[in-house]
Amino acid sequence: MTTLALPRRWRVPAWGACLVLAIIAELVYFTLTTRQFAGHGTGMLDLTEQFAPTGVLALGLAMVILTGNIDLSCGANASLAAVIAGTVLAKGGGPGLAIVAAIAVSTLFGLFNGIIVAFVGIDSLLVTLATQFIVTSIATSVAGASPPFGFSSAFQLIGQGSVNDVPIALLIFLVIALAVIVTTGYTGLGRSLTLIGYSPRAALYSGIAIRGSLTAVFTLCGALSGLAGVLLAAYYNSAQPDIGTDLLLPAITVVILGGMDIFGGRGRIGEVVLAVFLLGFLSQGMLIEGDSSLSITMITGLVLIGALVIKFAFERNLRQRLNARMRRFRTLSRDPHGPEGHGS
Amino acid sequence: MTTAKNVTAASPARRELSMPPRWTLLLRRREILVTAVIVIVVAASTAAHPYFWASGNLAFIFADSVVITFLALGESFVMIGRGIDLSVGAIMGLSAIVVGFRIQNDGLPLLPAVLLGAAVGIVLGLGNALLVGVVRLPPIIATLGTLSVYSGLEFVVTNGNQVDTIPSSITNLGSDTVLPGIPVILLLTLPFVLVSAWVLRYTTFGRSVYAVGDDAEAAYRAGIAVQRVLFLTYVISGLFAGLGGVAFLIYTSGASSTTGINDNLTAIAAAIIGGTALTGGVGGALGALVGSVFLTVTLTALSFVHVSDVWQPAGVGVLVLLAVLYDSRSRAGGTRRRAKRQRQGGPR
Repeated sequence: MTTLALPRRWRVPAWGACLVLAIIAELVYFTLTTRQFAGHGTGMLDLTEQFAPTGVLALGLAMVILTGNIDLSCGANASLAAVIAGTVLAKGGGPGLAIVAAIAVSTLFGLFNGIIVAFVGIDSLLVTLATQFIVTSIATSVAGASPPFGFSSAFQLIGQGSVNDVPIALLIFLVIALAVIVTTGYTGLGRSLTLIGYSPRAALYSGIAIRGSLTAVFTLCGALSGLAGVLLAAYYNSAQPDIGTDLLLPAITVVILGGMDIFGGRGRIGEVVLAVFLLGFLSQGMLIEGDSSLSITMITGLVLIGALVIKFAFERNLRQRLNARMRRFRTLSRDPHGPEGHGS
Repeated sequence: MTTAKNVTAASPARRELSMPPRWTLLLRRREILVTAVIVIVVAASTAAHPYFWASGNLAFIFADSVVITFLALGESFVMIGRGIDLSVGAIMGLSAIVVGFRIQNDGLPLLPAVLLGAAVGIVLGLGNALLVGVVRLPPIIATLGTLSVYSGLEFVVTNGNQVDTIPSSITNLGSDTVLPGIPVILLLTLPFVLVSAWVLRYTTFGRSVYAVGDDAEAAYRAGIAVQRVLFLTYVISGLFAGLGGVAFLIYTSGASSTTGINDNLTAIAAAIIGGTALTGGVGGALGALVGSVFLTVTLTALSFVHVSDVWQPAGVGVLVLLAVLYDSRSRAGGTRRRAKRQRQGGPR
């Protein structure tokens, strides 16, 4: 029962291995071509704090995508959180209050998304498309004509500080990653999410609290967007109202590159984490080499498309071979659930 | 959950038993309903501010909605076939830049400019079409990837420059009016809308798009070349986005590397408001026109009652939510679940 949609433990995660190889290859390449990249070994670590917010955002999004839904509003939500944190700090609040307020507001918007998706039953693409617009407006309005900047050093520590050369942002990202891996892989909620994504009907008939789980996952995504926004504000030491909006595309890219099935039910958070590092180091390395951020966007898109074409071709091939073998055994080859769980 | 399903299953039969009066049937057509709402909004705004009805303001509203109309038109084809094209804004921007530089540097006349814009759009649309129709990537991912590529390409093509000197013989089309309140550019747009409406409604290809969007499996069994139809919808979407780029040049008389970055979702919003559902199989070309005019009218009305520009995106968002809430078809189920079911059945 529990192995229904989850990948078998003993199988070598082929995609994860590919990602690790790609990360090693690009690290070696950038170290050889660009002197500043490695920077006595700590340079690479320092780079991670630049893409840690994207990573945190991607983790929340990955859980939503696991259920076969999507959250287009998470980037805007991160912006709002950044703006709220900035405003609280500018009004004289402490860093703790700022963080709590920011995450609380974005959690509320996540909850709102979740309730509309789960209880009204509207497609999440539409709901979050709409809330994305609304949240953007609120963020711009709260930020006002002169968005807050120049925060206390205690707050900046979250985004820029480090413990023994390890950036705090990276530590936060890794802790969250671990928590998300445990939640999706080893808890009842995680199994519900996977099953909802794999087959909503099966989830319904096996008595899973679909509505509750969906609400929970959107709320979690909202909370993580808020955290990403706080990290952003602390890293850039300012809170522009579009600070997180640009992270939506990289975050989706990372989740897909991490082998997550956009239709839900399949994918490993661990591989998403690897994809965060792959894409993060790629874009930072290219930035250091002197490419502009928009040509990096282009490369990101090409990488995404290329990886997907390879992956889809690979999977289709595998599937066909599997089906041929199954047909020989006179098993139902058309039944999608038949050959799925048994491996080759 | 089960009770809710039973209710929706039973309601069509109940509708047949008690025929509603004629005019409510008319209101069921989204284009007509939205037109009615547009009239109401215009009337209310005029009552509050007489200048709203001034010919200059009406012409501005119509001209302002033309670019989104083109984008939403292409998006309608894709969405009726149950796809989504997130890259229309980037295609529009790229076409505006390419055509704009040719006009600015080589003095390209209008007609070749339109043809060039269409060609750019078709080439970029082919990229989407190949990924979705041939490689069979899920449309949302494929067009997300091309969105990144095309918006990066915009930056590469502009190379730090921008288009800012378009001869007035061309930009006059955006500001001149034939009748008070009716800009020339709207008249240039209408044929495209009408031809699209005709293609969707009366040609084999158009009906195939609806069939594929409604149920790809059934369409396949009925002998429709599903992948070819999908392929064409993305090419058409690119074509209209390319034309939208030329319209953008005419209207704003300039283009830069960020042109169209924010128009992808607005185009989808306009199509949705016009009655085209993401669940595929319903909608039409007129809806794209009506939806984008409605968006512009409402946003202009908002600025007339001194709502800050900051809240315009929120206005779009609320309108999309209302349109979707009104439209029970898009509830319970939705694209992604059905698409999933379909994909599980098909070869992968």
